[in-house]
Formats: sequence, structure tokens, C-alpha cells
Amino acid sequence: MNTQATDVAADMTVTNRWSNAFAGPDVWVKILAGLVILAAWQVIVGAFAPRFVAKPLGIAAAFPAVVTDRAFLAAVASTLGAVLQGLFIAMVTGVIVGVAMGRVKVFDRLLNLYVNGFYAMPMVAVLPLFATWFGYESNARMATIVFAAFFSIVINARDGARSVPPEYLEVCKAYRAKRRHVWFDITLHSSLPYLVAGFRLASGRALVGAVIAEFFVSLEGVGMYILAHARSFQHNEAVVGVLALAAFGLFLEGVMNWVMRRFLPWARRD
Amino acid sequence: MIRLLNSDARWVRRATFVASILLGAAIWEYAGHNADPLFMAPLIGNDQSPGAALRLISFIGDSQFRGAILSSLALFATGFTLALVVGVPFGIVLARLVLLRVALESYILILYVTPMVALIPFVLSILGFGFWPKVLVVFLFAFFPILYNTLEGARSVRPELLEVAGSFRASEWSIWRDIVIPYTLPFALTGIRQATGRALVGMIAAEFFLSTSGLGEIIMVASRTPDMANMLAAITLITILGVILMRGAQALEQKYSAWRGVDG
Repeated sequence: MNTQATDVAADMTVTNRWSNAFAGPDVWVKILAGLVILAAWQVIVGAFAPRFVAKPLGIAAAFPAVVTDRAFLAAVASTLGAVLQGLFIAMVTGVIVGVAMGRVKVFDRLLNLYVNGFYAMPMVAVLPLFATWFGYESNARMATIVFAAFFSIVINARDGARSVPPEYLEVCKAYRAKRRHVWFDITLHSSLPYLVAGFRLASGRALVGAVIAEFFVSLEGVGMYILAHARSFQHNEAVVGVLALAAFGLFLEGVMNWVMRRFLPWARRD
Repeated sequence: MIRLLNSDARWVRRATFVASILLGAAIWEYAGHNADPLFMAPLIGNDQSPGAALRLISFIGDSQFRGAILSSLALFATGFTLALVVGVPFGIVLARLVLLRVALESYILILYVTPMVALIPFVLSILGFGFWPKVLVVFLFAFFPILYNTLEGARSVRPELLEVAGSFRASEWSIWRDIVIPYTLPFALTGIRQATGRALVGMIAAEFFLSTSGLGEIIMVASRTPDMANMLAAITLITILGVILMRGAQALEQKYSAWRGVDG
């Protein structure tokens, strides 16, 4: 339980350092390092690897054609749409379950074992089961995404609801605050930083879940795009798919940071 | 009644814990008996529909399954150890070489948020089948959480401490021993905990998508047959494995997290 709390603390300290990662006085050092890495990649792969292996110049050459390709855009939209939808479902249900667990001890004791168990379980393992249950179609992907995201949100929402300072609740009691105020203004409010941390964890897991489900059930999407092109030795095109996933990951990370700085500055630790 | 259920008395806690297990088992059993056997197997079951729990017990006696479990563990251990051996020292070195750290940290962050599953097709098409490509997949899953978090620790090393050490002409070795390593280790352990979970995903994914082997193969074979009891038993086994490994990593992390508490 404590580990989760340290996660959140680490999360908050990371928040402002993170924004320095792409700007600041050292930006030229970073760009130079990037160029060195790309050059090394180009030279080493060109010298030792088979010809089909992706090289920076090849990727750059393939990039414009891929990002204007209808099929690629449809694949990206399909995957990311499913991830966002699944994250939304997992967020709503996960927060309800997690807050209930955090504030009502019976729920916590009844569900804790299962939540922690499913959280620790590698989500790939359930893919064949989901494929059987939901069919080899997009429902299986949605189920995998929700499954991957749900438990990390529950665990964080639960820890967040527990972290409410007891003085606040005492003051509520003393002033005979209405129950909905206690729930929405106090409990939900003070667990918000935990929810952001949970959502950040969940979004990474959801993305992995979506890609892996596409591999498994051969579903149209970025994962399948990468798999198909890697199989037919068009690695440069496939790498563009990976870049799209990385960009989406960074985008979510950036949104989380913005939310933390804009709306939850009181939760920052440094 | 509600007050009783929520009380902290030891027997109430124990009773709810037992009730939680029994309730879960009962739901599983009920679903197993009433669903199509192609979709669900019961936990204990009867003669017509064998249960997952009995299969799990029979796994222990079966040398083929023991071999599968050992091969999965060998894959996990090899990939994870490699990630550890490369990731932690590299991260700690970056604590000392500030310029290199500044140059590389953005790229390490990018690789950290990239879903490593997406690289499996490349590993497959370049390296093909075999043990080492799978090790590479586990390595890729585990390496970046370890490196990223160790780097986070490297950043947390107070420059004042290094300056003081420098002005007292501390030897390089004692700077490492007394400042750099103690500061980075708790963060590295957070990375190790994250990496444990990810490496397990990598292990199963490698066993599914590269040459099938180990626990992944058991699940795949069971899903084709289809033999739901075997599949659920193998999934349960993987879950137990995951819980044990995660608990171990968490305990290790907590043991040293007090160090980090010093400066928040």
C-alpha cells in the first residue's frame, strides 16, 4: 500500500523535472546527442545488419508516404480510439470501485485479494481467454484494454480515498456537512493526485494491451500495421507505426503533466 | 450489522477474508457449471467437467508441466538479470557524468513510454526463433523502467554533497560509496519493481508470439484444443507467480525506501 503512495510522491516530483526534458538551456546538448545516436544507428545497422532492417534515413524517406496513407491513419484512429474509450470505461468504473474500497472497509476486505491479484497478473496471459469469450474481433481488444487499465486505477483510487486527512472529515462532521459534500468535495478532491497517477499508469498499460490484443486476434490497428509490415520486411514503414505509439504515449504523459501543473499545483512536493 | 462488518476486530477481518475467498470460488464454480464448457471451466468441477484447481494440482506431478514452468522461469531470470546488470550500473554512472545524463535523458524517457510490445515483430523478423530472441524481448521490457528510475535517482543526488566531497578531496571511490550509490539505489528498486511486472508481460508475450514455449505454450495449446480447465489452471499459476514476484520486489523496495524519505 505504501509503495503506491511513494509512486504518487515520485510522480509529483517528476512532474516539473519532466517539463525540462525537452526544453531549457541544455537543448543543444540533447539535439547533438540525438544526432550522434541516429548517425551511429545508421552506420552500425548499415554495416552489420541485413538490408531490410530499419535505418534512420530509410525511416525518414518512408515517413511522408506512411503518414499520408489512408490505411495507416485508419489504423491509428482505430487503436487510439479504442484505447481512449477503454480508458474512459476503466476510469469511471475503477474510481467507483476504488473509492468504495478506500472508504468502506468491508468492500476493501472482500475485494483486495482479487484486485491485487489481477493487478499483478501479466495481462497478456488472459488474451486467449478473452479471444475465446469475446471472439476474434474488436470486443476482445476493448476487454483487454479495460482489463489492463482497470486495476491500476482501482488501486490508486483506493489509496487516494484513504489518504484523506482525518481532520477534514472531523471538521465535516463537526459542521454536519451533507454526505454528498463529504464524498465529492473532500474525498474525491483529495484523492485527485492519486487518480492522475493511476490514470498515467493505466494509460501505459492500456496502450500495451491494445497493441498486444491486435497481434493476437489480428485486428486492424497500429499493432497489426507494425506486425504486417515487419513480416513483409518493410521495417522502415513499421517503425513509423512504433513512432506513432511513442508519440501517443508522450502525448498522454504530457497531458497528465499539464493537468497536474494547471489544476493540482497544491499536490506538488517540490 | 454494517458497523460490525466494518469493525477492526481480528475475527471480523479474518471472517471477511475467508468469505472473500469462498465467494470468489463459489462464483467461479457456479459459472463453470452453467456456462458452455467451451467458454468456462469450474474451479473444482465433477467427472464430466474437470475443474481448474484439480488440474493445477496435477501440474505439480507432471514432468512436462514442471519443465514448462522451469523454462518460463529461466527465460524470465535471464532477461531480467541482464536488464539489471546493464541498467543499474548505467543509471548510476549517469549520476556522475552529468553531461551524458543531460544528453540522454529525453531519449530514455521516450523509450520508457514506448510500448515495448511493438518491437516484438522486429525481434521476430530479424532474429527469428530460439531462446535468445525471447530473452531480448524480456530484456527490452525490463530494461527501460530500471534505467529510467535509476536515472531519476541520479538526478536526485544533491550537487552540494558532491561539491563538499570534492572540496574535501574525497576519493572517487568514497564519493560513489557514500553519495552516489545510496542516493540512487532506492530509485533503482522502484524501477526493479516496475520491471518485474513488465518483464512478466514480456515473458508471456515472447512465449506467445515468438517460438511458443513454457507457460505460454500451455495456454496456447489449451486455447486451441480447447481445454478450459488447463487454460484457467495455467493462468492461475501465472497469476500466483506474478503476485509472489511483485510482493518480493515491493518488500525489497520498502526496505530501502526509508533512505529516500530523507529529502522527500
